[in-house]
Amino acid sequence: MVDVSQHNLVPEHTVLDEPERVEEVLEEYNVEKTNLPKIKRKDPALRDTDAEVGDVIEIVRDSRTTDQAVVYRLVVE
Amino acid sequence: MTEEEKSVNQLVGEYEHVTEDIALVVEDTELPRRLKTRVYNTIQNREGLVTPEQANEIAEAVENRYIDTRVDPLDPVGTVSAQSIGEPGTQMTMNTFHYAGVAEIDVTQGLPRLIELVDARKTPDTPMMTVHLESEEQNEADIPFATDREYAHEVVWDIEATKILALGDVSTNVADMLVQIDLNDDTLAERWPRANNVTEVAQEIAETIEDALGVKTRQSGTVIEFGPDQPSYRQLLQLVEELREITFKGIEEISRVVIRKEKMDDGEEEFVLYTEGSAFGDVLSIEGVDASRTTCNNIHEVYRELGVEAAREAIIEETMDTLREQGLDDVNIRHLMLVADIMTNRGTIESIGRHGISGSKDSVLARAAFEVTVNHLLDAAIHGESDDLDGVIENVIVGKPVAIGTGDVDLKMGSFSAPSDD
Repeated sequence: MVDVSQHNLVPEHTVLDEPERVEEVLEEYNVEKTNLPKIKRKDPALRDTDAEVGDVIEIVRDSRTTDQAVVYRLVVE
Repeated sequence: MTEEEKSVNQLVGEYEHVTEDIALVVEDTELPRRLKTRVYNTIQNREGLVTPEQANEIAEAVENRYIDTRVDPLDPVGTVSAQSIGEPGTQMTMNTFHYAGVAEIDVTQGLPRLIELVDARKTPDTPMMTVHLESEEQNEADIPFATDREYAHEVVWDIEATKILALGDVSTNVADMLVQIDLNDDTLAERWPRANNVTEVAQEIAETIEDALGVKTRQSGTVIEFGPDQPSYRQLLQLVEELREITFKGIEEISRVVIRKEKMDDGEEEFVLYTEGSAFGDVLSIEGVDASRTTCNNIHEVYRELGVEAAREAIIEETMDTLREQGLDDVNIRHLMLVADIMTNRGTIESIGRHGISGSKDSVLARAAFEVTVNHLLDAAIHGESDDLDGVIENVIVGKPVAIGTGDVDLKMGSFSAPSDD
């Protein structure tokens, strides 16, 4: 199986384990969890993680317009 | 040592004319690294003529300008993006010109390609892949695939679909009810470089034919013969037809591979393969293929193999490339990023249009305003839908102020006491 995370197009995905971090994120953007962009649980980039539906994934992209852009996606079915 | 001190020390070492004072001032701004680096380079180019006071002024001016260019709250960014992509779009070629891409591979360009991307078509008009080869991992001969012509060709034959007509002559012997294949020795040796001898390859081919057509074959040397069970002219021709369709080596979907030597960013020369047709997943797992740089122009294949985030990147890359090819690269990348963000917002790729974003809006009026008005209104009436009038379109329709820009701000006249300081 090809290691998806090694591909240049795939940014780093990490599961936010601590509920406090999730709270922080939601507070920062002043949104509900369901307002976040989504990512499927079966997404190839999440294959090696133990992400469950309802988890929030932190994605650190190499941005074209700034150094690094941190975005969040909610895991959905 | 803190993170900041470390970076300041590093910077002072890196730039001859950047002193600690200057570095501290610049690092203290809100600027992103990209702009900080530009400030340092500018100061460096002045060769020591910049005093810390001046550096402070420069940093402040740049920071102000930077903050000024940020999007204001309630800015209608979507509308601005639509206009910013739409206007250059009118200048694009309406017709596709063929063989305009790299390495004589026919790729759809211009407006048709842009439409294809935002429509998120399941398969593009001209699917293609750019296959990079492993440049670091050594194979048994200690030569990277990417720089060795023979190894590169080996990968080509692993990818390109080999059909019977490329391997030899096929003739039908009607008298004996036989299909005869006379394989070409040189071609076999070329396409199966790892095989010991051509007879072995011919045997492999005969077995493939037996499996695919369900016939018994007779093979001697590089000649293969077979025929239908019962003498039947129709079945004989049928067999020849089916024989032509069999893929003996490589990937079914890929009809042609072009190999090119290219200079990489690091100055090294490498072989890069361009394919007509695509099978992203299959190619990534072929030995010798660099699974970190190989890409595909079908965003759905990228999504399937690498996920939404990669698909988002691919959409940005592909749309920007399409514009750049037409000399329209002054479209700000942020507009394309917004489009890609919206298209991948729900975790899958959605098209922009009736079947995607516009068609799944919450507001009935917004959907009805886009396309097939009557159907939407009728459905909404049947289901008893209501409209919250949150969006722009709905409010334009009913004649209320739209909730963007100054339209969302309420001003009240009156007086109130200043907040006390306790």
